[in-house]
Amino acid sequence: MQALKLILAAVVFIALAPFAVAQETVRIGVVQPMTGPVAYDGNIYVNTVKMVVDDLNAKGGVLGKKIELVIEDGACNPAQSVNAGEKLVVRDKVVALLGAFCSTSTAAMMEVAKKHKVPLITGISTAAQLTEQGNPYFFRAVATTPMLGNAFGAVLPGAVKAKRFAFLVLNDDWGRSMVASYPKSIERAGGQIVATEFFQQSDLQFLSQITKVKASNPDAIVLAANTQQAVALSKQIRELGITVPLIGEGSWTSDSYLKLAGPASDGVYGLVEYVYTIHNPINDAFVKEFQAKLKENPTKFAGAAHNAINIVVDAIRRAGAADPEKIRAALEKTDYNGLVGNIKFDAKHQAYGQTVYLAHVKNGVPEVIETATIAKP
Amino acid sequence: MSPSIAILCQHLLNGVLIGCAYALIAMGLTMIFGVMNIANFAHGEFYMLGGFLAYYLVSLMGLNYFVALPVAVILVVVLAIILQHAIFRRLRDAPMMTTTLVTIGLSIFLEHVALLMWGPQPQSIPTPFPTKPLSFFGVYTTPLYLFCMAVTGALIVVSHILVRRTRMGKAMRATFQNKEASALVGIRIDRIYMYAFAFGAALAAAAGAVLGGFIPVEPTTGSIVTLKAFVVVILGGMGSFVGAIVGGLLLGMAEALGAGYMPTGWKDAIGFFAVILVLLFRPEGLFKRA
Repeated sequence: MQALKLILAAVVFIALAPFAVAQETVRIGVVQPMTGPVAYDGNIYVNTVKMVVDDLNAKGGVLGKKIELVIEDGACNPAQSVNAGEKLVVRDKVVALLGAFCSTSTAAMMEVAKKHKVPLITGISTAAQLTEQGNPYFFRAVATTPMLGNAFGAVLPGAVKAKRFAFLVLNDDWGRSMVASYPKSIERAGGQIVATEFFQQSDLQFLSQITKVKASNPDAIVLAANTQQAVALSKQIRELGITVPLIGEGSWTSDSYLKLAGPASDGVYGLVEYVYTIHNPINDAFVKEFQAKLKENPTKFAGAAHNAINIVVDAIRRAGAADPEKIRAALEKTDYNGLVGNIKFDAKHQAYGQTVYLAHVKNGVPEVIETATIAKP
Repeated sequence: MSPSIAILCQHLLNGVLIGCAYALIAMGLTMIFGVMNIANFAHGEFYMLGGFLAYYLVSLMGLNYFVALPVAVILVVVLAIILQHAIFRRLRDAPMMTTTLVTIGLSIFLEHVALLMWGPQPQSIPTPFPTKPLSFFGVYTTPLYLFCMAVTGALIVVSHILVRRTRMGKAMRATFQNKEASALVGIRIDRIYMYAFAFGAALAAAAGAVLGGFIPVEPTTGSIVTLKAFVVVILGGMGSFVGAIVGGLLLGMAEALGAGYMPTGWKDAIGFFAVILVLLFRPEGLFKRA
C-alpha cells in the first residue's frame, strides 16, 4: 500500500512537473544561426526578438507572466537545428518555437514541431514547399520566393529597364525555388532568361560563375544571397567589368551590406519583405528604438523577427493559456497589424496580406520604388 | 579577340588567381604534414587569422596596407611558434590520431576566439588599389587581383627556393625523409619542427591577408579553406612540395574551367571527384613526397 502511494505520488509529480515549470514564465524557444556563414543575420534576428520581448515584459508580459526566451544556435545546419529544437521542447518546455533561418534547417525542425505538437513560426525561410507539406504546427509569417516572384517578376523588366535577365543564386531550396518561379512572370512581362547559374553556401569567390553569366550578355542579374555572399558577389561582379543592374533577394538593403560593399552597392535593387525606410507609426517607433539600442538600421531579418515574435505573443494572449495546442489554434486565426501591414494565415499556414518592397539603393540609402501586396494564395 | 576566346581567357585567369592561393595554402599544409607528421585541421584558421589581423590593422588601427600585410603574417607566425612550443612540441611522439584531434580542437578554439574578438560580421580589408577594373581585349581584372597573383606567385617561388636551395630547406627535407637519421647527423629536430610549423602558418596567413581584399573574411572561413587545402595535398601527394604547387594550380584551373563549361552547381564536386579518382588509382598522389 505504501509503495502504491509512492508510485502514485511519483506519477502525479511527473505529470504535473511540466506545468510547474510553465507556471513561472511563458517560455518561447528561438533557434537561429549564431555561428556559421549567416551568423551575422541570425544575431540581428535574436537581438531584435530580445528587444521586443524586453519591451513586452516592461508592459507586463503576456497572461500576467513574464516572457522568457530560450535561445539556441542552429548554425543553419539541419542536424544542429533539430537538436536545438528537441532540446528546447523536451528540456526547456517551450510553448512555441521561432526558427530556423535557412529553409533546409526549418524543414528539418518542422518534424520536431509536429512530433511534440508545439507550434513553429518562421519569419525568414522562403522555400515554397515548406507550407505545402500540410504540417499543422508550422506557420510562415513571410512571403515565399514564388509569391515574391509573382508579385515582382512582372514589374522587373519595366522597373529596371531590362530585357535579358541572368540568374546567379545560392544552390539550396531558396535559390532553386527562385529560378523555378521568377522566370515565368518575367517572361510573361516580355523579359527573357539568358543564364541560370548556382553557387554553394560555402563559396566566397564566384569568378567562374560571374564569367559564365557575363558570357550570356545579360541586361540585369538577379541574385539570391545573404550579407557575406552578397558583398563578395557585388564586388566581384563589378571587378570583372559587368556594369548592368543587380537585383537581389536577401540582404541587399541592409546596413552591413551597404557598408561592406561600398561603391559596389550603388544602384543595386533589393527585393525585400521589409526595408527600414518605409513609414508607418509601428515602423517609425521600431526604427527609432532599434537605432538607439542596436546602433544600426533594422534589416529585413529584424523586421522578420519583429513580426514573428509579435504574432506568437498575440496568439498566446488570444489563446488565454500558455498551452501549445491552444496557441496553435489561436495562430490560425491571426489577424495581426505590424510593420508591413496586415498578416493573416491561409489554410496552409502561409502568411498573406502583407506588403513587399522593391528598393533601389542610392548613395547608400535604399529607397522604395515599387510596392506590392501579397495576395491570398 | 572573339568573345568566346575572351571568356576562355577570363576563366583561365580566374583559375590562376585562385589556383595560386590554393597552392600557397596547401604548401604550408603539406610542409607541416611532411616534417611533423601532423594533419593540421587548424590550417584554415591561420588563413582566417591572417585575413582578420590584416583587416584589424588596416581598418581599425589605420596602418598602411602594405605594412599591415606583413605585420599580420608576423603576428600569425608568433602565434604558431607559441602553439608549437605549448602544444605540438609535447606531442612529438604522439600517434597521428592524437595530433589530428588536437588540431581539430584548435581549429574550433581559434574560430570561436575570432568570433568573440571580431564578431560574426564578414569583413573585407580596405585596399589602396583603384576598384575600377582593367580590361585587356575583353578580359577583365583589377589591380588587386594582379597584386594577389604577384604576391602568391612570388611566395610560391621563394618558398620553393628556400626548400630546394638553402641549408634550412635541406635540413627540412632530410627530416621529411628520416627523422632519426637526421637527428643523428646533428639536425636539431625541434627547431626544424618549429620552422616548418611557423613557415606553414605564415604561408596560409599571407594567403588570407592578400585574398581578404576581395574575399570577405569571417570567423568560419577557416573550415572550407582547410578542406580545399586537403584536397590539393591529397591530389599532389601528402608531403610533396611540388605536388602542392601543381595540385593547387590544377584544382584552381579545374574548378574555373569545370564551372565555366559545366553546370556551376557542380563546381565543388569537381575537386572532390578528382580526389576520389586519385585515391583509387594513385593513392600516393600525383607526386611522391619530398
